Amino acid sequence: MELDAAGLTTLLLHSLSMWWVIIPAVVVGIVMGAIPGFAAHNTIIMLLPLTLAFDVDVALTFMVALYCASHLGGGIPAILLNIPGTGGAAATTLDGYPMAQKGQAAKALALSFVASVMGGLVTSLVTLFLLQYLARVGFYVRSVEMVVIMLFGLALIAAIAAEDMLKGLIAGAFGLMLGAMGADHIYATPRGTFGMLELFDGVPLVPALVGLFAISEALVMLESRGGSAKVSAGVTPTWKETFHNIFSSFRHWWLTIWTGMVGLLIGVLPGAGASIAAFVAYQQAQTFSRHPEKFGTGCEEGVVAPESANNGVTTGTLVPLLAIGIPGGSTAAVMMIVLQYHGVPFGPRLFMTEPLLAYGIIMSMFVSYVLMLFTVFPMARYLSTITTVPSCYMAPVIIAFTLIGAFAPRTFLFDIGIAIAFGVIGYVARKTGYHVAAILIGVILGPLLEKSFLLSMRISGNDPTVLFSSNISKVLWVLLILTLTLPAIMSRIKRRRTESLT
Amino acid sequence: MHRTKSRLLAPSRRGFLGGAGGLIGATALSGSRAFAQGQFPERNLSVTIPTAEGGGADRDARVFASVWKDHIGVDLEYEYYPGAAGQVGYEFYLDKEPNAYNLLFANLGPEVIMMVTQDTGIEVGQDIVYIQQTSSEPMAIWVGAESPIQTLQELVDLSMTRPVTVSTSRLPHPGSIGVLSLAEATGGQFTLVPYGGGNPTAMAAITQEVDASVLPFANPIALADQARVLGVFAETNVAPAESGDAPTVNQALGTSIPNFDSSRAWGVHKAAYDQFPDRIAILKETMQATLEDPAYAEAVKAAGLPTAFIDAGDEAVAMATAASMKELATKYRDLLSGA
Repeated sequence: MELDAAGLTTLLLHSLSMWWVIIPAVVVGIVMGAIPGFAAHNTIIMLLPLTLAFDVDVALTFMVALYCASHLGGGIPAILLNIPGTGGAAATTLDGYPMAQKGQAAKALALSFVASVMGGLVTSLVTLFLLQYLARVGFYVRSVEMVVIMLFGLALIAAIAAEDMLKGLIAGAFGLMLGAMGADHIYATPRGTFGMLELFDGVPLVPALVGLFAISEALVMLESRGGSAKVSAGVTPTWKETFHNIFSSFRHWWLTIWTGMVGLLIGVLPGAGASIAAFVAYQQAQTFSRHPEKFGTGCEEGVVAPESANNGVTTGTLVPLLAIGIPGGSTAAVMMIVLQYHGVPFGPRLFMTEPLLAYGIIMSMFVSYVLMLFTVFPMARYLSTITTVPSCYMAPVIIAFTLIGAFAPRTFLFDIGIAIAFGVIGYVARKTGYHVAAILIGVILGPLLEKSFLLSMRISGNDPTVLFSSNISKVLWVLLILTLTLPAIMSRIKRRRTESLT
Repeated sequence: MHRTKSRLLAPSRRGFLGGAGGLIGATALSGSRAFAQGQFPERNLSVTIPTAEGGGADRDARVFASVWKDHIGVDLEYEYYPGAAGQVGYEFYLDKEPNAYNLLFANLGPEVIMMVTQDTGIEVGQDIVYIQQTSSEPMAIWVGAESPIQTLQELVDLSMTRPVTVSTSRLPHPGSIGVLSLAEATGGQFTLVPYGGGNPTAMAAITQEVDASVLPFANPIALADQARVLGVFAETNVAPAESGDAPTVNQALGTSIPNFDSSRAWGVHKAAYDQFPDRIAILKETMQATLEDPAYAEAVKAAGLPTAFIDAGDEAVAMATAASMKELATKYRDLLSGA
């Protein structure tokens, strides 16, 4: 199948003909993505008996649409309630929630939706045409390079900690310590599990996420009487304002595109995911911003970057499955089950035997984002009213939903206890000025960093110079050093200029 | 191509509604039929898989269940408990009610080795009984399609000049023991690199992060052109057509390394085995019927796997396989556990 005008038209028509399955999948995806703990992966697993009963192209379209929509949905509670629906939306809380508190929830939602949809559209188009080249990324970015990429994400701790470096670093180190719990990656020796089997696989991410963010936020909410918006004027925009919010979001088009590409490239790498992509994109957006000091205070770019990146990841995770035949993430692994169940070959053979199906998966993603555009307008207008709901009603609802969310992924009662424990940790952290996002970054990235590092060491025979062995790793190290030092250098230059002028 | 295109025009929507309706109807019917008969099983069976979803165990369990459900009359519900090389899954399985409704789908090789190397205290025969073996596949050592290494001899030659890295799913694995035996037999230097799952292990070989990979034979076969099989740890290569007529390790090197394979098997609690012999008999009988059903061979083929891997060993065979794995694990315990 050639990707010429005729081929593309066939693909587009084929995907558009699936509107009847895309629309319900998008609705389910947005709702599930917005409930912490459910997300695409768990929802797709739950619906697997249904999808296995469908024709393979219908099943894959359904899963792809649901997957994309869940990442868009994940940003909603992150902005409105400071509760990321998915790990990929954790970075969105950093600026999304401060915007909501300032009475700009509708604007933040519009930014998030536009970034998600645009990021998804651009990356799915890029993937459609450059699939084979993208698959090569995995050949050059291996464990050694992943170590540096993880450090980019960890560098965000330093940025978050700008106001109080010591507290930020303590919070980050605490997160890393929690992330080190569980069986080690080489010999599966349990560490810090206190004999609890539920911790053998490490601290479960979802209960930690909902505890740190949702439960602690609900506890803080109960201390106030009003809604989460400190400024309630103009919380519910008119249609005119909604359209203005949405169209003005397009002025961040360049940031959306490049952070979406960051997400796509990270998504292609096995073992990486939306969380790391969103943190790296946020950190890089801040580094290259003209006003980095505004990040964390309700900055528009701080919402755009992580949301575009986490939608870029959705496309990226499908690349290894389609191009090589190995799923790049857990959602792609479930898609592989469906392909296998139907006896459809995957990897390069899929393009030879079922080209319409192979390219159709990516085109379905594109069409899903197009159809998602129509959901953006009503959501951007009405969802922001959630911030005016009094805390006494909202807090119990949050706690109930998030505890279910903590239980859902593994169905362990133990995980509800973990969520509550992390809720208390998060509450104490908030009250004492320690940043919960810094703790979460440690919990998420710690195990990934450790795994990449141990693999690098094992491959090199414990030679630490392996971390600088490839050209790409050298470039990444230089970029990391620049990322860490440039802001300080630039602010010093700026200060000197100001002093010399005065 | 035509098949997919024709769906574009009409029956997809109908298929969707029909599929959903059919699924609900079938579930209701199968439930009522079982209930009416009042005999085991009266409800769906629960399957514990001690690895992540989307892996080889998940694939094989679902392929088997797609035919078995017609023989047993109920559906199967899956639960995944990955972690600690399978220990998490086993521990959680043992905590479940021993009633023969709760089953374990085991990967005998790595999981029995894990029980030994990680001092789990779980004993085959005392805690778990494997009642039916479904498949058995040898370990294969292979490289990515773009690797400069063409033969096993070349890999061994390389191992004489520098340590050769070999990706493996986990250290407690028959494939890992196969590589250790290879090192022992040839005097070469091999470093095992555990990636924590078949998919990342394969990816490491394809991208040439490591020199080679050792995995159950079905993995490189499923990867087709992406993989080049150098050798199979078996007496004969049972799937020559699917593996580019790869030699066995002993044929390639003139060694006498034993066979290393991994078998999938259904396990039950020993307590359930003792308490509900009638239920166990029904499980065994229907599993055996499934393995003899031509539809099962078709389902295996459709999943891209060679039917030569179907290995319908009964309880005695499955337990003997587990015992031989335990013996191997004990021999290589120190190397595999880092002790």
